[in-house]
This record gives sequence, C-alpha cells and structure tokens, in this order.
Amino acid sequence: MIIKINYKTTYKFTSHVPRLVQSLNIYPTECKNQKLIDCDIRASQGKLEENPVDALGHKTFNIYIKNLVEPQTITMKSTVETKDYSGVLKGLNESVHPSCFLRQSNLTKPNTKIINLVKNTNKKDSVEFCHRLNNAAADSIMYLSGSTNIFTSAINAIEQGSGVCQDFSHILISLARLHNFPARYVNGFLLDDSEIAENDTHAWVEIYINNLGWVGFDPCHKRCINDTYIRVGCGYDFSYTPMIKGVKSNYNGEEYMSKELVVQAQSSQ
Amino acid sequence: MLSRTAENLYWTARYIERADSIARLLEVAYRIHLIPNTSEGYLNEWESILSAAGIKESYLNNYKEISKNKIEYFLLFDPNNSSSVKACIESARNNLKMVRTAVTLEVWNTVNTWYHEIDKYDTEKYDTKNLPMTLDWIKKQVNLIKGTINNTQLINDGFDFIYLGIFYERADFTARIIDVKYYILLPSSSYVGTQVDNFQWSIMLRSVSAYRGFKWAYGNSQIDYTKIIDFLILSELCPRSIFYALDKIQHHLGRLTKFYKSDNKAHRNIKAIHRGLINSSADEIIEFGLHEFLTKFIDDMSTTYSDLEEVYFLGIDK
Amino acid sequence: MYNEVFDKKTPRKAYQDIITWANSLPYNTLIKKKAEAENLFKKIGITFSVYNNFDSSERLIPFDMFPRIITKLEWLEIQDGVTQRALAINAFLRDIYNKCEIVKAKKIPADLIYMNPAYEIKMVGVKVPHNIYSPIIGTDIIRTDIKSFKVLEDNCRTPSGVSYMIENREIMMRMFPELFEKNNIEPVENYSSYLNDTLKSLAPKKCDNDPKIVILTPGPLNSAYYEHSYLADTMGVELVQGSDLIVEKNITYMRTTQGMQKVDIIYRRIDDDFIDPISFNENSVIGVPGLFHSYKSGYVNICSAPGSGIADDKAIYAYMPEIIRFYLGEEPKLSGIKTWRCSKTADKNYVLNHLDKLVVKEVHGSGGYGMLIGNSASKSKLNVFKKKISNNPNNYIAQPILDLSSVPIFKNKSLSPRHVDLRPFTLIGNRKRKLVPGGLTRVALKEGSLVVNSSQGGGVKDTWVLKN
Repeated sequence: MIIKINYKTTYKFTSHVPRLVQSLNIYPTECKNQKLIDCDIRASQGKLEENPVDALGHKTFNIYIKNLVEPQTITMKSTVETKDYSGVLKGLNESVHPSCFLRQSNLTKPNTKIINLVKNTNKKDSVEFCHRLNNAAADSIMYLSGSTNIFTSAINAIEQGSGVCQDFSHILISLARLHNFPARYVNGFLLDDSEIAENDTHAWVEIYINNLGWVGFDPCHKRCINDTYIRVGCGYDFSYTPMIKGVKSNYNGEEYMSKELVVQAQSSQ
Repeated sequence: MLSRTAENLYWTARYIERADSIARLLEVAYRIHLIPNTSEGYLNEWESILSAAGIKESYLNNYKEISKNKIEYFLLFDPNNSSSVKACIESARNNLKMVRTAVTLEVWNTVNTWYHEIDKYDTEKYDTKNLPMTLDWIKKQVNLIKGTINNTQLINDGFDFIYLGIFYERADFTARIIDVKYYILLPSSSYVGTQVDNFQWSIMLRSVSAYRGFKWAYGNSQIDYTKIIDFLILSELCPRSIFYALDKIQHHLGRLTKFYKSDNKAHRNIKAIHRGLINSSADEIIEFGLHEFLTKFIDDMSTTYSDLEEVYFLGIDK
Repeated sequence: MYNEVFDKKTPRKAYQDIITWANSLPYNTLIKKKAEAENLFKKIGITFSVYNNFDSSERLIPFDMFPRIITKLEWLEIQDGVTQRALAINAFLRDIYNKCEIVKAKKIPADLIYMNPAYEIKMVGVKVPHNIYSPIIGTDIIRTDIKSFKVLEDNCRTPSGVSYMIENREIMMRMFPELFEKNNIEPVENYSSYLNDTLKSLAPKKCDNDPKIVILTPGPLNSAYYEHSYLADTMGVELVQGSDLIVEKNITYMRTTQGMQKVDIIYRRIDDDFIDPISFNENSVIGVPGLFHSYKSGYVNICSAPGSGIADDKAIYAYMPEIIRFYLGEEPKLSGIKTWRCSKTADKNYVLNHLDKLVVKEVHGSGGYGMLIGNSASKSKLNVFKKKISNNPNNYIAQPILDLSSVPIFKNKSLSPRHVDLRPFTLIGNRKRKLVPGGLTRVALKEGSLVVNSSQGGGVKDTWVLKN
C-alpha cells in the first residue's frame, strides 16, 4: 500500500528565545515493511544537521537556533510503500539486544491490577500468548481521548480506567515484560478511518518473539499491525521516543504547540 | 579566557570595591558622631549616609527609627541587607570561587581569608565600640587584596577585567554620591554655598577619602561648589574622581582590544565619554545642571556595560 | 585485624622511623601543627560539601598527620593489579557496547548486562575514540592480612579524591620537611600532567589541531568542586560549566572573551544522565544541549564515555575475575571479595539468614549511603533491610564484614589505630598507561568504624610509596 503523510508541528513563543536546540526523530523507519519513496523534512528556522544513525536504526536530525523570534514550524512529508508481514518487523538494521527491553521503565512498572490482567499464563504458543496479552491490555481500560497526559504511567491509566493509545501501549509493555517477553514502545502514523481515529501520531507495541523477531501489536485496536501502520521510532516507553525534543536556554516565556497531520492512502494508478 | 571567567572576575572586583566604599561611608558617619553638636543634629546626617548608600528604603523596611547603632549594623552585617559589607564580601568570594583558577593562590587566599574572618567581627550582639577596629580591618583587607592582585597576578586579560570591575564600581559610586549630595541632601537649592552645604561637602570628600587630597590640590581655600565638582568629576589627581576611573577603564579596555586584536563598541563608547570629560569644565557642568549631567553619565555607563557584556561576557559569535 | 604499623608491640620496618618521630613529637607541637594544617586547608579552600536535609555547607575534610606507608614491593603488587583491572574494564566496555562476545561465550549472564539500568543502549555501536571508555579509574583497595591486598570496588565514572592525594602531600611537606629528607618517598605531583597527557591522547576523530581539553563541572555546589578546579588549574585547562559550552551544527564550542572556541576533549565530572538534556534527562540544567550528538558525530570526546558506569556496578563486580580472564587471558592479580547477589534466590536466602554477619550495599549506591553493616546495626535497622531486600532483591548485594587493616591516628596524646582503605588512580590513554605511585588513604575516624567515606565522618592521610 502506498501511504502519504503530511505532518506539521508549530511552536510559538511569547518572547524571543536566546537559544533553541531541537532533535527530530520523525524520519520513518527504513526496513522491508516500509519503503520510503520520498521523505522531505523541513524546519522554518535553522538548518538540519543529520546525526549518525543510532543502534535502534533511528535517523535523526538536530537543529541549533539562536535568537529565535518567529514561530518554528517542522514539517515532514513522506510517501511510503508499506507491506504487511503479519505484523513482523523485517529488515531493520539494529544492534541493540532485545533483552534490553525486558527491563521495566518508569512508565511501565506493573501493579497488582496489571499483574492480575492475565490469569492464563500458558506460554506454549508464544504468538498466541502475546495475542492474549494484547487482548487483555485492550480490554483493561476505556479509550477516552484527552483523559491522560505525557506523565501518565501504566499504573495511573489502569487506576483511572481510561486512556489513549499511549496508555494501552504502556499496559501491554508492562504485561509482556512481566512475562519475560522483551517489549518496546513504538510511535508512528496510522492510516485510520475508524471512529477512534486520532488526528495525531499513533503508538503501539513491539514484542520480541523468539524465531520471529519483533512483532507489532496494537492494543488500542486489539490487533496486530498491518500495512496501514508507518513506524518511526521506538524506546523503553513514551518518554524515550518523542518525535521532536527541544531544549531552550535562558528562556522564561511561554511556548504554544500546534500539530497538523494528514495520513492518506494513495489510490493506485 | 572563558566568558564566564571574565564576568566573574569583573563582579568579584566590583563587590570588593563596593565593600570598601560602604566601609568608607561608615567611617564618615563615625567622624560626624565625634564632631560635637552640629547645627543640624546628627540624625539627619546618619540618614544621609543611608541615602548615599542607596539603601534608605530597605533600611526603613526593616527598622522603624533612624538609629546610629542600627544603621551601623545594617550597613555592616545585617542579613536583611543584600548590600551590606558582609554580603559584598560573600558575593566577591562566591564569584571568585567560581573561577578560583583564574587568580593566583595568594589572591584567592586573601579574599577567602577576608570571607572567613568577617565573622569574627560579626559578634552575637552588635557593639558599636568595635566599629573603628572593624572598619580598619575591612579597608586593610581591601588594600591587601588589591596589592596582592598587583603583585602576583599575571598582567593578562583577567587582570584587565578585574580592573574594569573596580573602576566601573568606583565611577558609579562617586557619581551616585555626588548626585545624592545635591539632589537629595540639600533641602533646596537656596542652601548651595551655605554652611550646611559646605559641611556636607567635607563629609562627602571624606567618604571618598579625598578630603586631604582636596586641600592639597586647591590649597587651604574654602570648600566651594565649583572646586568640588572639578575635583570629584574632572580631576586627574584624585583617585576617586570620575575622570580618573574613566581613564583607567579606557586604559584597560584599550589593552583588551590590543590583546584580542579587535576593537569594539565598548571601547569606542568609553573613549567618547572620556573625551567628553576632557573637554568639560566645572562651570559647563553646573550650567548643564549637575543632576542632569550625572544622570546622563550613569546612563551612558550602563550602556557601555551592556556593550562590555555583549562583546566579552556572552561569548557568542555574531 | 591486621595492624599495618605494629607487629605485636614492635613497629614494622617501614614504619620504624616514623614511629620514632611520632613519639618524639611534643604534644603542644602536635596541637600547633594540627591547627596549622587545618588553617592551610582552609586557606587553600580544600573543602567538600555535605549533602543532607539541613544544609550543604562547606566543611574541611579531616586530615590526620600520621602517614600511611606502602613499601615498594607492596606497591608493585597494587600497581600490576589495578592496571590489569583498568585494562580489562575498558575491554569489557568496548565489548558489551559492540559485539557482546563475553555474553555469547556465557561468561557473564546476559540479564546482568542487558537488564542493567547502567547499560546505556544509546551507546550501542557508538564509535568511542581509541576505544577507551574509562580513562580514569579509582580502585578501592583494602587489606585484611599481611599477605594480600583486595579490591573492594572499582570507580570508573568520575572517581574523586585525587586532589586530596596531592594536597595531603603538599601539606605534609610544608609542615614536616625533615621527614622527606630522611625517607625515600615517591612524588605524586606529576598526576596532573599525566592526566593531561592521557586525555590528550584521546582526541576525537574530527580534531586535526592540538586538542583543546576542558573539565566540565556541575558547579561550586558540587562536593568535589575543589578538586575540579584544582585539576583544571594544574593541568592548565579551562574549568567549564554546562552554560559555558554550546553546540552548533553538532560541533562543541566554549564561550570565550574572543567568541566561540572549539572544544575537543571534555573530562566531565557530571553524571551521564545530566550531560545533555536533549539525549538524556531533559530537566538537566547543568548539561549541554546537543553534546551527545556532537560526541557521536566524532567532533568531541566525552571522558568517561556515557554508559561506563556499568563496569563498576556492584553486581558486575562479582564477575571481574571472569572479565579479566576473558579479555586478557590472565589470572587476576588482585583478588576481590566474596559477593552475594540478592537477585539470585539462593544468595538472597543466605543473605537474609546471615544479615548480622554481612555488609549489604545497594547495587547502584555510592559514598557509603544506603549501606548496612550487619554486626553493628540495630535490630530495627536489620528488619528494615530485610524488608528492603525481600521487596527489591535485584537492588542489593552482600559481602562478608571485612576487618580492614589499621594505621594509627594522632588521638589526644597517643596513637590510636583506625581502619583504612586505599584508592590509587589509574590512567589509561591511547597506548599509554600511567599510575602515580600513591593514592588516597581514607581513614575511619571513629574507633572501630569500618566506614571511611568522607561524607560519613571519614578522614584522609598522606600516603607514602617508598622508593626502595
């Protein structure tokens, strides 16, 4: 499937920013599941510096700006040809050992409620078991847009009983790690025309299954990922995978951010 | 040199100079106290010391009455006074600690000792009897520090930044004290030239340690307005005059431009102010208005400080 | 307890002169010298900050004038042992951030590396200049008997204490010059120039000039600030804070009175998490935004490399003999101490049942905080630790309570033995190894106490390595 993404984030500042350093992790993953036909990343202020690709395969860019007055707009336009391998991630050049993703992080620590989500712990069939975890995570909370924020942990979400894709993902990661499956947080884009379509980036989970490799599960939609998903970055949890991270120096004013995102299928001609 | 190092050296020196100025002000107050029965009564003069140090408001926020004892304590040690001598010493030492390696061990030792020993004088209950001894000690330490700087520091860019700090503070202090004298202390301009006026002048001269100097420079003639302005603003003989401070600032900025092989607006603007002073006379200043002249001078100096900051303390290429 | 100075009642050979000297010192001279020493420390500004809930004021580190003496033979044993460890640690770090052969060879459990919070996945595959991850290693060494020295702990992030090693000597030489005329004592003042050479040999790829070195400090409130400024001063390099550095186009610069100047090597005394708010803890205000990308791009070297801390992890410590054998093909020259890892059920059970005979440490703790010494702890403290260990066994290791050797301190009118340890500092550069003959001797000032950390009431001594 060919998917077009048009992503735009704008930062506005109430006064002049002496220094701003931004790091962009918005370049879609290059692997067998995703072929990048084109990808254009731009910043309205400052020049993009390409960083060496990291061990998780992220191609990132830094921007260094001084005396910023105008708003900063970051755009990423890309056309990606996707292919589904039953949710299995293929051909990503990465060198971090999967076991690193066994360690629970701050946002994924389990509590008894999470531990009790899965009663049947028969792991004979790993794939089947992971689906069971995914379903458990999917049913653990209600989808409620805006009910959580960037600091919400798996425990917070399960306690309040609602959340968004990020929270479903944290609960699934927590469960998978609990049962000794390496699991990581993935963010990206989703071609989505369902009711719960978010006009925003999406998040899901990759679980490492021996002999298969990393397999993508979307607890928010209670399914494995397919060719409507575009993968961008991964990490221990949400806090490790921001698409744009910025640090301002000597700035006391406010910052306002706005996002626009269009994900469309290109009709095959 | 790191920009922060330059900035810290500059502020260390300013605080050392400021501590010295406040100690000298206090000494003036002490002398007044010894002179029996002036026509205006001493409380007025004590109040004037607070005005001159620019902390009258802050004092009145802490104490209801003007009292000699309390003023002394306030200016020397009071933790509620962020520009007490003790606070200045602490700021000087903390600024220097950040750049400990930019000065010789001997310079650091003198400043650090000053900081550690001030506590000996800050006794549990303030005793006014100790004032002369305390002031002597503070001034002695300042002279020791300055002497140590002169004798042990490498005469490099750091040395220039130290001296810029000393003379920016001195120019500012002298300008402020003259301004306070005329704008605040005298009840009205009709008092100019009266006994009150002259008495206040002699105090001011003492506060900048220039009383003797004045007598030497102008003979034992009566203190008068024009001569004083000439002496405190334009004289190249008086080490506390504005001109002398400007001359030194220009000298050290000039050295820096040579050292770094690039001229800049801080240096150019100081040269302009310096030239302006050379071409002024006391009469012209009086005609222009002393207060107006000083206000403009203080403004100009603060502009050149911004230049200095931009050129040397920010450390970012344009 | 092994008494380093006395064999029963007779002084050992190396100490004979010094005992005679100490006994001949009149009490009032002693008092006077002690005050003099304190005054010197205070004047020079050798203070350290103690963090607790009440204040973070500056204090003097207590200095005892009775020196600790190490014979040449003893020193050679220490020197070979710590150098070997330092080399093995660097080989280990290079391996676990690249091919992980030691794990594949099953010499160390995979979980211990991959699930370790000190294992920094951002460092995987990063090209580290000259493959030296940890150029400065402080090794804590203790002695329990006449035969051997043992390694208690490796410190390969940013070990401190080296300035005390040098200043203690300086002060002893000023106060008792006569001691140095008689005894043949190895000098220690070359450390700074060795450190400078070592760092200089570690220039990053994209540096074609004489490398510019800086020391990065968290600032004057840090407990080791004096040391940071001491080293910068004696090495002739700038002591910078995060705000003095800026990264532009992935190149690191410092802000100077002449504008931006490129920096090539950073000896950082800031923890990993704080060096760069873009790549690590975004709340860090003492770091430099973009620094890690500058590092990865080969414009600047950060010493020690981020992620080096895993090598001095107390759980990894137990595997040091394996690590040495695996990378160097040699037997360890210094032995370690039996360590129970509470993450293993059998070990945990043993520890819980023998708590009163063990020292329990937090895996990632340092400075003697979060530590339990079983035989001197109260019942309630033992219970607290029992609970802590049961709740979070991975976070604890235990070791036997070791009877550290003793060297006397001047106490009132006599000498009184106190427990000591030793921290020498090994420097590993590009094809260079240097070790100053000496180290920091820390001494527990409280009678019977085994805790030598300065933050916990420990003091320091001058340490003499004899030339022959």
